[in-house]
Amino acid sequence: MELRKELARASAMLDVRRFDEAAELLARVVAAEPDSSRAWCLMARAHLGAERYGEAIEVANRAAALDPSDEWPHRLASNALVHRGHHADALRAAHEATRLAPSYWQTHVCVAQAALAAHRLEVAAGAAARARALAPNEPDVHFLSGKVSLARRDLAAAREHQERALALDPTHSGAMNELGRIRLRRRDTAGAIRHFISAARATPDEHIYRRNIDVVILRTVSRTIYVFTLVALILIWVPAVARLDRLPFAIGLGVLGALGAGSLGWMVLRLPREARLVARRILRAPRVAAALALAVGGVAAAFGLIALTPAVDVAQVLPIAVVVTVAVRLAAFAALRAAARKR
Amino acid sequence: MEPEPTVLDSLRKAVDAMPDDVPLRLHLAGLLLGAGQQDEAIRQLGAVLQRDPGNAQALSLLRDQGNQVLQGSESEQAREAATGSGPAQQYDWSQAEDELRDVLPAMFVGEPAAESSSAGLDEADAYDAEHASLTLADVAGMTEVKQRPEAAFLAPMRNPELRRLYGKSLRGGLLLYGPPGCGKTFIARAVAGELGARFISVSFADIIDMFVGQSERNIHELFEIARRNAPCVLFLDEVDAIGQKRSQLRHTPMRSAVNQLLLELDDIAGHNEGVFLLAATNHPWDVDSALRRPGRFDRTLLVLPPDAAAREGVFRYHLKDRPVAGIDLARLAGLTDGYSGADIAHICETAAEQALLDSVRRGEPRLIGTPDLESAIGEVKPSLGAWFDVARNVALFANEGGTYDDLATYLRKRRLL
Repeated sequence: MELRKELARASAMLDVRRFDEAAELLARVVAAEPDSSRAWCLMARAHLGAERYGEAIEVANRAAALDPSDEWPHRLASNALVHRGHHADALRAAHEATRLAPSYWQTHVCVAQAALAAHRLEVAAGAAARARALAPNEPDVHFLSGKVSLARRDLAAAREHQERALALDPTHSGAMNELGRIRLRRRDTAGAIRHFISAARATPDEHIYRRNIDVVILRTVSRTIYVFTLVALILIWVPAVARLDRLPFAIGLGVLGALGAGSLGWMVLRLPREARLVARRILRAPRVAAALALAVGGVAAAFGLIALTPAVDVAQVLPIAVVVTVAVRLAAFAALRAAARKR
Repeated sequence: MEPEPTVLDSLRKAVDAMPDDVPLRLHLAGLLLGAGQQDEAIRQLGAVLQRDPGNAQALSLLRDQGNQVLQGSESEQAREAATGSGPAQQYDWSQAEDELRDVLPAMFVGEPAAESSSAGLDEADAYDAEHASLTLADVAGMTEVKQRPEAAFLAPMRNPELRRLYGKSLRGGLLLYGPPGCGKTFIARAVAGELGARFISVSFADIIDMFVGQSERNIHELFEIARRNAPCVLFLDEVDAIGQKRSQLRHTPMRSAVNQLLLELDDIAGHNEGVFLLAATNHPWDVDSALRRPGRFDRTLLVLPPDAAAREGVFRYHLKDRPVAGIDLARLAGLTDGYSGADIAHICETAAEQALLDSVRRGEPRLIGTPDLESAIGEVKPSLGAWFDVARNVALFANEGGTYDDLATYLRKRRLL
């Protein structure tokens, strides 16, 4: 077996994301050449790509033991440790990589990633700045800098970094997704969905973008139900306080229903065409439909209770109507949360 | 002499580590038999036969084991024989198989018994077979899939005068895409057969080998071979591996390989007569958009999971060399809607394994029947879910210019969109 050739073959497999085939090949390579640190590193990368984080950590540690002066095993281990949720260990490994290769921008990106996961935002910002200084034309450096800025709630800087990443690589779907998240923080739902759609278009096999679209739509439905039931809660007090007739009360119910349906329709119409298709599907999903039916049905029941009760007894039934409205609101939220978890 | 339990444990671990090592499994099975652990030995032998269906040693061990079972059940007869009517005869499996052969029922429902032996099977119904002279007629079912290369590729090729009259160009290649295990390679071979051309298939392993060393030169040589062998179909399997989006290959040497591939494709489109390009991929969205421009792989063909007729063909093909009787192909095809050809192959394998183990336990061979396959269908789940998850995203968000309209139509028809 010619080691160099086999490693080149494995490396090519990893470049095209054939992680399992690469791991299989590398298992044979390390069986024949157990002292090759590079082979173990490539194997760790294969496990990392295939989301086998435990194995990746083990193999990366082995590579580090074989060649203590190499920074790569520490970066690989750090990356896998982040995925396993061992943030302190991940940060330690990343710092070790930086110590071994301080002029290598990837090591600083690694520190920033691990620090971000550990919520050590100042450390993350410092590492991202060092990475930017070393590699100003590297889109991933700006992408990560933007993530750090977003975590620090600096929306303007976050946007600037992501736009720079996109300028350097117009197909960077991660940056598109981050721009969507920034829009979401600014409560621009339609704008956020546009960015998520761009990300899903660029990388359709990354399910997180599609999930983000679903979650934003569900969140909008949830807000509509929140406002609808809140207004209903206020309105059902009106007859008791103002001693109104049933007609204006019925008109109030009608207006509220129309406004609720109208705002939902307006929300759907504002969405890009692709998202409208997704929204239609989501609204027809059993849990979401149940949440909407619960909200509308519960509010109608509460209004009916008030409207059909003689004026002198309204004060007695009012608490029941309030409890019904609050209960349906909570039930609807639970149904929506279950729908979001399913995605 | 019985082996030490620790030896057996070590061997078991070795087999787990190297599941495809047939001699090792045989060794373990032999020791297990010696230790009286028949069930596990039979499982190991079954696994050997799965990997090497004709393995003589495994068959012999299984036969011996069957004889021992029979001898156990015939012990009373043997005792009787010893007291008066001569020695007990050992069960002759070969003879039993010969006897059975004459009275075998029809392999498939609706076929006469006399024509049900393997010799009577028509290979034209095969779906996933290697065949030197395959044509599209050999592809069972999938009428819509077969129509597309006919219109885009084959009819203009066969009618040069009409082609010239209508100004139809032959530039560009055909990109087959669809879920894994659904017969893209088979259809590519059939298209080559229709053209009466040589077929050069470049697999993923070949592609990876190209990147070891001087990838540009290797790719150039590949196309040179195709030119020398014209008329020839050059088939790039898993083209996403060789022509991946260059934006995803920023830091790799493969980027220059994609550039070289583009150069060669343009050369073929411009100057080379008789070299036809076919490619297949499970992920067309990962293929560099430059590869899909006019004159390159500008025509696409969606190869969907097999329809009912194709599924029957797949079952027929994978069962034709196995001892089956009374298989209701229509029923099985109905139960496997949404399964890929590879899934169906796995179902047949599972059913054969069950029947083999059952035969060994009972001490007499029995034929694979529809219930075995139905039970295997219950065990084997369709493998295409993950692909369709991505396909749904593509149809929703990445269908620019209607590139994936046929996929979107299919997903809507199946209520997946």
